[in-house]
Amino acid sequence: MKQGLDIFNITDTRRRAITDADNLFWAILPKGSDESSKLSRDVLRVYDKFKDSLDKNMHDFRFSKKLSAVYINPTDKCNASCPYCYVPPAIRKNGRSMNKEELEFILNKIYKHTKSASKKMVIVFHASEPLLVKDVVFSAINKFKNKFLFGLQTNALLLTKKDVDFLIKHRVGVGISLDSQNSKINNRLRSGNFNQVNKALKWFNGYAGLNVITTVTKYNVRGLEKLVRFLHKKKVSCILLNPVRLTQKYSRKLKPDQELLAREFLKAVDTAIDLTINSKRPIIIANFANIILGIVSPFARRLMCDISPCGGGRCFFTITARGEMIPCGEFIGIRDSSGGNIFRDSITKAIESKPFKSVRGRFVEKIEECDICTFRNICGSPCPAELHAMDRFNKKAVFCEFYKKIIQHAFKLIAQGKEKHALRKDILGNLKYEYQL
Amino acid sequence: MKKKVVKNKKQNRQKFDNATVAYRLKCAKTGNGLSHFVMYGDAPKDQSPV
Repeated sequence: MKQGLDIFNITDTRRRAITDADNLFWAILPKGSDESSKLSRDVLRVYDKFKDSLDKNMHDFRFSKKLSAVYINPTDKCNASCPYCYVPPAIRKNGRSMNKEELEFILNKIYKHTKSASKKMVIVFHASEPLLVKDVVFSAINKFKNKFLFGLQTNALLLTKKDVDFLIKHRVGVGISLDSQNSKINNRLRSGNFNQVNKALKWFNGYAGLNVITTVTKYNVRGLEKLVRFLHKKKVSCILLNPVRLTQKYSRKLKPDQELLAREFLKAVDTAIDLTINSKRPIIIANFANIILGIVSPFARRLMCDISPCGGGRCFFTITARGEMIPCGEFIGIRDSSGGNIFRDSITKAIESKPFKSVRGRFVEKIEECDICTFRNICGSPCPAELHAMDRFNKKAVFCEFYKKIIQHAFKLIAQGKEKHALRKDILGNLKYEYQL
Repeated sequence: MKKKVVKNKKQNRQKFDNATVAYRLKCAKTGNGLSHFVMYGDAPKDQSPV
C-alpha cells in the first residue's frame, strides 16, 4: 500500500498538490516548486506538526460505530416503476406495509437504543414510496417529534398542499425525486411525476429542508446543467445528482458513459457555483459539496457513501417493511443481508451480525488500485451493495474514473479559491480552522 | 482603461498561480468535527423559506 505524501498535477491549472491519502492532509503549490523550496519546507513543517492527530482522527472517523440515522421503509409497495429502482419489482408489487403500532414499536426501540447519544437520531422514511402509508408516517412524526429529527424521501405523486404544510411545520427534511427538467424524459424515468413535482416545489416555496434527488442515467446525463437552472428558478437550494446504482441487473443498461457523466456533472457544478455567486439564492450540488468537504474538512462530511468503510451498518442502517434490519437500503434485494428482525432481535445484535460486519469490513486498503490511489479516502470506493450484486465486492468503485475527475475538479476550485460557493452556508458557519498556511 | 483590467486579471492569475494553499477545517460545535449524516433531518429552524 502506498503511504505518506504523494504529489500530483491539478488538471487545467499551473498548480500541483501534495497529499497524504491516509489522513487527507493536502497543500496546493505552484507547479515549479520542488521539495527543497521554502514553500515545500513550510508545508512539511505543518504536516509534521499535525500528522499524528490527523491520523488518529481519521481512523476514529472511519472505523467508529456511532449510529446517527436509521432509514425506515414503512411500506415495500410503490406507486411508481422507475427502471433502475434497487427495490426488486416483486417486492414493490407484493410487499407489505407497516401499521401504526408496528412503526411506533420500532421508533420506541430505536429511541431506547440511542437515547444516551449526544445528538437526536435522524429517522428517514424511504423507499419504496412512504406516502402510500401517509397516515402511519405522519402520525409517527407527530408523536415522536421531540425525540427524533425526521426525513422523508418521496416521488411526490401523493403529496398535497396540506402534507407540505405539515412537513414544513415539523421541520422534516424532504427529498423529492426528479430526473429532468424535460417532462418527457423525466416521466419516462420517474413514472410521470413531473407535474406533481412542479406543484410540490411551488408549495415548498424555497423551504430550506428540501432537496431534489436526481438519478443520473444515460437518458438524462446531457441535461444536468439545464436541470440545475430549472431548480434554481424553483427556489431549490440543494440537489443530489447521483449516478445510477447498478445493484439490479436491469439498471446496468442505463449506466452513463463515465467520461460524459463527469463532463456533464461538472458543467452542472460550475453552473450552480455561477448561480450562487451571481444571484441572491444559493444552490449546491450536495454530492459534490461532500467531495469538497472530504478534502477541506473530512470529518464534517454529511453523506456516508464516500467514506471508507461506508456508513452502511456502521452510522446508519435500514429497516424494511417486514422489520428486517439490513446495512443499507441498497441491500434490500440481496439475499442473506439481514442482521435480524427489529420485532424479535436487538439493534446491537444486528450491528454485530455477519452482514453488517461484512460491509464494515470492506475498505479501501483492501481493494486493489484503491490501495495505491491518492484519492482513496475522498471517494471511498462505493458502493458495497452494488459491487456485491456484481460479484465484485472487494473491487474498486464502478464509477472510479468519474470520481477521479470530479476530485481533480474539486482541487482546481480550491486552488482558485471558489470552494466555499459549492458548500451550504450553514455548514460553513459551523466550521473553524484547525490549521491554515 | 481596458488595458488596466487585463493587467489586473493577469496579476490576479499570477497571484493565484504562486500562492500556497493548505488548510483544514473542523466542526466548531463538536471539536473533533464529527457531524451526523444528512440530507434529511437538518432543516434549519431559522431559514424557511430561503
